[in-house]
Amino acid sequence: MSEPSTPILDFKKLAHDLLPEGASFEACLTCGLCSSGCPAAGLENMDPRKFIRMAMLGMNEELSTTSWVWMCTQCRRCQHVCPMNIDISQLVHKARGNWPNELKPSGIVRSCELARSTDSTSAMGLPPDDFVFVVEDVLEEVRELQPRFKTMQAPMDKQGAFFFVNQNSREPMSEPDEMVPLWKIFDLVGADWTYSSKGWAAENFCMFSGDENAWQEVIKQRVDAVNELGCKVWLNTECGHSYYTMWNAVNRFGMDANFSISNLVTYYAQWIREGKLPVNSDWNTMNLKFTVQDPCMIVRKAYGDSIADDMRFVAKALVGEDNFIDMQPNRSANYCCGGGGGFLQAGMTEQRRYYGKRKFDQISATSAQYVLTPCHNCHSQMEDIGHHYGGNYHVVHFWTLICLSLGILGENERTYLGPDLASLEVNPVV
Amino acid sequence: MKVEERKFDTELAVIGTGIAGVAASIFALKKGLTVALSGNTGALAYTTGYLDLFGSLSGQDLAYVDDPWKAVQDLAHYEPNHPLTRVSIDDIRSSFEEFTAFISACGIAYTRPGDKNLEVLSPVGTVKRTLCVPATMKAGTEAYADRSRCLIVDFKGLRGFSGAQIVANIGSDWPGLRHARIEVPGLSQTEIYPEVLARTLEVPQNRESFATAVKEVMGDEQVIGMPAVFGMHRPDEVMSSLEELIGVPLFEIPTMPPSVPGIRFREMVEQVFPQKGINLIPQQKVKSVEFNDDSATLLLADNYGPIRIEAKTVILATGRFISGGLEAHMDTVTETLLDLPVFQPVSRDQWYHQQYMGKTGHAIHRAGLQVDDAFRPLDSEKKVVNTRLFAAGILLAHQDWIRSRSGAGIAIATAYKAVEAAADFLSK
Repeated sequence: MSEPSTPILDFKKLAHDLLPEGASFEACLTCGLCSSGCPAAGLENMDPRKFIRMAMLGMNEELSTTSWVWMCTQCRRCQHVCPMNIDISQLVHKARGNWPNELKPSGIVRSCELARSTDSTSAMGLPPDDFVFVVEDVLEEVRELQPRFKTMQAPMDKQGAFFFVNQNSREPMSEPDEMVPLWKIFDLVGADWTYSSKGWAAENFCMFSGDENAWQEVIKQRVDAVNELGCKVWLNTECGHSYYTMWNAVNRFGMDANFSISNLVTYYAQWIREGKLPVNSDWNTMNLKFTVQDPCMIVRKAYGDSIADDMRFVAKALVGEDNFIDMQPNRSANYCCGGGGGFLQAGMTEQRRYYGKRKFDQISATSAQYVLTPCHNCHSQMEDIGHHYGGNYHVVHFWTLICLSLGILGENERTYLGPDLASLEVNPVV
Repeated sequence: MKVEERKFDTELAVIGTGIAGVAASIFALKKGLTVALSGNTGALAYTTGYLDLFGSLSGQDLAYVDDPWKAVQDLAHYEPNHPLTRVSIDDIRSSFEEFTAFISACGIAYTRPGDKNLEVLSPVGTVKRTLCVPATMKAGTEAYADRSRCLIVDFKGLRGFSGAQIVANIGSDWPGLRHARIEVPGLSQTEIYPEVLARTLEVPQNRESFATAVKEVMGDEQVIGMPAVFGMHRPDEVMSSLEELIGVPLFEIPTMPPSVPGIRFREMVEQVFPQKGINLIPQQKVKSVEFNDDSATLLLADNYGPIRIEAKTVILATGRFISGGLEAHMDTVTETLLDLPVFQPVSRDQWYHQQYMGKTGHAIHRAGLQVDDAFRPLDSEKKVVNTRLFAAGILLAHQDWIRSRSGAGIAIATAYKAVEAAADFLSK
């Protein structure tokens, strides 16, 4: 049996076919704003500008085989700062898809395979029955141990519920207590929601592997699951790429989705504005400083600054206006953390941390003790680079801080809080 | 899934996010108008930080201008159609005062417009004239004026900037000038962009190791110049912190794009404008403009979906060829958004002069929109195209901003007048 090899793509032609007129590679001024603003610049002696120049020079073999395409997180910051609006990430996506599966980073391929192995679409391969069991088990425990929530629900396959809530597999698989704060939030605001035993999972590494058919297949299962339950809104949990992979795919593949696609951050902000989530910052008597990490997948690549502004509204309500410090740059101009694009699962640790140094410096410059982010990959990456480079910060989900502020955060739900907050008791405001 | 169109109403829509568009938004904000601003990433990121009013006499002998105010006044005699002849000296001064005061208040301190031009260093160590400079570059103009003992520090791996080149170009006129190269601690990559270094220096610990490396190559110099890398955000604080650590005044010299002052300026705008209530739709070009009886409809889209802006007035500040405001075809130049008539040479063979570097410049560079005194574009019969439409910046005809070193001057002064005219229209 011969070794698999990578077919050679014609990148100049691809750019011509894929990119709109006026934003093709021919329009490149070679100014370098893309590379200057790219945390992956320098890895594999490659950067976005070189990628374009090499395509124009016909260096297709080099571009078809460079492992840099697995270090570019497709965050699209290069396009965002490009005066000619040239999108390099689409070409990187094509290049990834062109690699034979055997040569792709095995972690990404495996996660995609697992997602297709059960009706859950879980990248960790958690089957529907196990998911249902974990949810029931955890719910039972909370009802027993936390009297305030003795009638709390975590509905499963509830026909006609308003929200179809998806779930990142990491929680039911390895930290099930982390599901609870969100259930409490739903309970408080009186949300009509449901999980689904099918198509419930958030992650989608098939998109990262560049496998269009597998990406579409996974999303179709999820779209079908929402349509079957007749839910009005597919509500995305605190996970960046899962929003993008669904939202983008529905348009990209022209799927019949009889529902709207929303992000949890939007609803956090709405519920706080409506008074349904009466959060405040009174608990922060130590004046701990917080910053937020804008996930590329929901901010720059999807909603734009409007959701970033919602995120800041929520953060400030939680920690106090004066205790919030923005990273620089931020919102649509923010840097990818280096955990995106499947980088965390790709096994290239050294390169991933090199990429993450920019994020580490951004966080350090704020001198914040906590980073809030509604994204699992951002969360893991920022924790890792924090340990690696000797940072002094903790990374937390919004749901943790919302429940902390409301005085309803259970003791098993504090994994990510630092010692200063791990044992802080806040009087329940609701 | 239904995609919803987002709709905004505004008194003024500014199209273009270069200096003219940004300046127009600032002036409109000051007048209390509601503003929507959109445009691609724009020329802003390519700016050096220097704000030229008039630095060189174009079309004649290219002589340097020491008194830009007199040069602008003289324009009436030899370039009577130049856009700056439609703005009074008082208004030009006010426009620069307002513009620099706004930027200073937003975190990038600037010098105020003086009576004379300042002599400043270019990225390669030649001297040019400009009117206002960021505070981070001020010590450089003073050091050159005083011929102070000065060290230019550059960085291993940072391309496009060479201390040796600067000393070679200006050293004979500045005897106390020396250069040295350092390795930036913690930046191991072979190719360093100024942007990366600037971000690195926003972390206090990184400034300390950086300052130590600079002090190792420093002699008895009174002042140290470096490529512009003193932080992207709050540059004045980054610089003063470094000055404290190093012990002498510092200054920045602009670099080739992609340069920090340009990115710094753009990021400041992106962050501050929404906070001030400007409806900024960044990195997106307006696709169409249509005038109705009582407003104009602008259509554009971002990643999320379509956007519609209903505007009472519109300022076109779309720039020239690179920015996409003008488009060159085989035998003609057109305006891209509204197909407005473009003043231009009668045929292509007259676009360029035989001498590429010749003093007179090229006719094509003076192509652009013709306007009246209220900066309203005119049609081929010299009639106002639409009473709600105004234009500003280097899109305007009868100027050669590169040769006359007057890009910021034209942008800021004409934006000032265009906003004034739009506000007048709105108040009627």
